[in-house]
Amino acid sequence: MTETDHLAAEYVLGLLEGEDLLSMRARMAREPDLVAAVSFWETRLAPLMDELGGAEPGPELWDRIEAEMEPDKPLGEVVQLTQKLRFWQRAAAGAAMAAAAAFVLVLLQPLPSVAPGTDAPSTDAPLMANIPIGETSLRLAVTYLPDRSEMLVSASGLTADGVHDHELWLVPSEGELQSLGIVAPGEERRVKLEPKLAQLIADGSQMVLTREPIGGKPANASAGPVVAEGAFTAI
Amino acid sequence: MSASKSGPSPHSSSSAGADAARAALVAAMQRLASGDQSALEEIYRATNVKLFGICLRILGDRKEAEDALQDVYLTLWRRADRFDADRASPISWLATFARNRAIDRLRTGKVRQGAVPVEDAIDIFDAAPLADEMLIDAERTARVHHCISALDDKTASAIRSAFFGGRTYAQLSHAADVPLGTMKSWIRRGMAKLKTCLEKSE
Repeated sequence: MTETDHLAAEYVLGLLEGEDLLSMRARMAREPDLVAAVSFWETRLAPLMDELGGAEPGPELWDRIEAEMEPDKPLGEVVQLTQKLRFWQRAAAGAAMAAAAAFVLVLLQPLPSVAPGTDAPSTDAPLMANIPIGETSLRLAVTYLPDRSEMLVSASGLTADGVHDHELWLVPSEGELQSLGIVAPGEERRVKLEPKLAQLIADGSQMVLTREPIGGKPANASAGPVVAEGAFTAI
Repeated sequence: MSASKSGPSPHSSSSAGADAARAALVAAMQRLASGDQSALEEIYRATNVKLFGICLRILGDRKEAEDALQDVYLTLWRRADRFDADRASPISWLATFARNRAIDRLRTGKVRQGAVPVEDAIDIFDAAPLADEMLIDAERTARVHHCISALDDKTASAIRSAFFGGRTYAQLSHAADVPLGTMKSWIRRGMAKLKTCLEKSE
């Protein structure tokens, strides 16, 4: 087998972890051969799952799913909404700047115990990512505000080289990389996300930053090399 | 709920029944892809027991498995267009999808490691396969079993615990009491043999 086949086999068995897993996902978005190799194994091994007996989930699970499917939850009082918006605007302004500090804090805290019954963080809470750039001490701070489907991208430490742009991508757990736009060096930018794209972002969602020609990835070309990667964390 | 009317009776495992159930599932997936949200409930009723079994086996914790399953159906609802009936059987596709999401939860650290002792988690399921599992392609099933049984025991067992148990290389080598490098080469050689065998019979 080629190295590609081996990697695909390990991926399908679920053996890849951490950096290896991330870079595999990023490569799959660009390399059709790798996707074909993964698909070979997935199709051939899927019948093994026949051996597993079924099990009944809790009877309320369907209700939970149906509740999440509500297309547009009522917007509620305009006043409330405006207040909420202001709150997150303030939180976000501070958040982007505090992202580095918060990241350190998260690292220093003991790992949260995911005890049964502990709820996930509120879906309204912002998600943050602090992405180290290569070997440098520079960081790209990304804050996502679920309430507003908006993303703040702060690249204040970065400078333009005049030849390249950097493009930020979301790595969904399934499917192709989704562009989150060009990163503007030295600026903090506010980006409105399409609902379809916003839905893909969750606690733990991974991102990669690629080096592209000026203007971003040309439509007919593969994405450029991955220069940095990171993941969203709920604070 | 319309699935129970059009699907096979729970005790029917004849291939005609399986074909009808498969066709009903494909139709529901296509309706979902075209924007008919009511199709998701039909898909859920037809597949939740199978997919929950997969998630529970990998995650070893009911709450985690339920969260994973919820995630599976909600993602399906948003991305039903990604299923291609010409290329995959719907239950195989959904089973692979559910397994991937469950493994993903393990690997991204959303699950507290060791919530259930590994040995306990393995033995949760010895239930007889359900009728709907006959939906998976019988010929392909026979082939992969044949090819795995042709491997030596230790390799076959390592590959199976990676696939079913979501074990990492480190966990596998610990369980088999061999160095990490040895486990990697067992798996790599085993998968190469498996591939040759699978291709030979196609």
